[in-house]
Amino acid sequence: MHRLIPEKLVTIITNDVLEHQLIKSVRKNGASGYTIVHARGAGSSGEQSGMLNIDTNIKFHVILPQERLTQLLDDLDYLIHKGHHLTVYVSDVSVLDADKFKKPMT
Amino acid sequence: MFGLTNLLIPAVLFFALGFLTRAIKSDLRLPQDMAKMLSIYLLMAIGLHGGYELGKAELVTAFNSVLWAVILGFTLPLIGYGLLLLSRRVDKMNAAAIAAHYGSVSAGTFLTAIAYLDNVGVSYESYPLIMLAVMESPAIIVGLLLASWSRQRMAQDLSIDSSGAAVIHQMPADDKPRWRSLLHEALTNGSVVLLLGSMFIGAISEPAAMQKLFPFIDEIFMGILCLFLFEMGMEAARRIGEFRKVGPVLIIFGLIMPLIGAAIGIAVGHWVLGFGVGGITLVAVLGASASYIAVPPAMRLAVPEANPSFYLTLALGVTFPFNVVFGIPLYHYLAELVAA
Repeated sequence: MHRLIPEKLVTIITNDVLEHQLIKSVRKNGASGYTIVHARGAGSSGEQSGMLNIDTNIKFHVILPQERLTQLLDDLDYLIHKGHHLTVYVSDVSVLDADKFKKPMT
Repeated sequence: MFGLTNLLIPAVLFFALGFLTRAIKSDLRLPQDMAKMLSIYLLMAIGLHGGYELGKAELVTAFNSVLWAVILGFTLPLIGYGLLLLSRRVDKMNAAAIAAHYGSVSAGTFLTAIAYLDNVGVSYESYPLIMLAVMESPAIIVGLLLASWSRQRMAQDLSIDSSGAAVIHQMPADDKPRWRSLLHEALTNGSVVLLLGSMFIGAISEPAAMQKLFPFIDEIFMGILCLFLFEMGMEAARRIGEFRKVGPVLIIFGLIMPLIGAAIGIAVGHWVLGFGVGGITLVAVLGASASYIAVPPAMRLAVPEANPSFYLTLALGVTFPFNVVFGIPLYHYLAELVAA
């Protein structure tokens, strides 16, 4: 039987100019890692086709335990209040090999 | 001589084709990162060319060109900001972000102008190219300054009026650490680094080694420019759809500001720097153009309160097509008048 540990997956869809700030925030909050995927679509900022530098989106995934969730969401909330457009959603996931998720990124 | 027949060069025609392609809703799509790759190539090629030419440049004129480019880069956004606020239809944050675009330059417009000048057989100095490279950063910095100043003013006003009802996020305290990173962003901007770096390489490399590069930066240059302008034509057409959101006042600004910038550019090119007709035309183009590659992401990050639809539609949907179709021949004509 495998041990599956419950964690939280935070997914952020936003413009890729925010990439460095998201990485900084995620590192600060002790996450063990993150994944970035190129994205395109449309929404509150209009169509993001990915053709120019300004309308390229990213889908930013980070998995962390429940305890660290609130701090990260506070940071994201602050970005939204500054005026940035972010789509943030949190889902419950069960992860295999939970040990690596306990260590923050080096 | 100054008819629109001078626009019948592949570069401009491909821009029109791109525009048309999108307008008729063709399903043609270029790969996502292609515009970025083409942009990188163009900056590198033009940088190498410019650097190579710089070997024959005079240091004093080069220094003056850089100085005046920086002056233009700082002044044009201030003029734009003032005009936008005068209209009373635009708030300060949007005005700051939009103005920054007009202080900066569009390499695409500049290269189209060079293709146009080559076609009509007018020679030009290489100094405007150095000006191109240095005009990006001052505009971004001014945009940030205007936005930050407006933001602090707004925060102060709120704290005076409210009796505790409004919740204000502590912005001013946070502005300081942001400054360093935003300044860093303005000065280490990708386009600037690539352009200046390529110019440096072109200037110090052995001419024999540079010759080996010419098939890459010379022979295929025009073809790549055509592809790039084709893509930009499509992007411009896409932005035209946002005209309704932008409104007539901003559109008029998008048509008037390039003329103001061009007039100032012509004045600087002729009376201050003493360039020939080609050089004056190029400085006019630098003054008239608005960035749509490098400045929009910088503003998106630094001035999130501004609406990207406004500045992108203006820079790419209004000013860029205007400059390519009407502006370049017009500025050439005015440069001829002034130089005579």
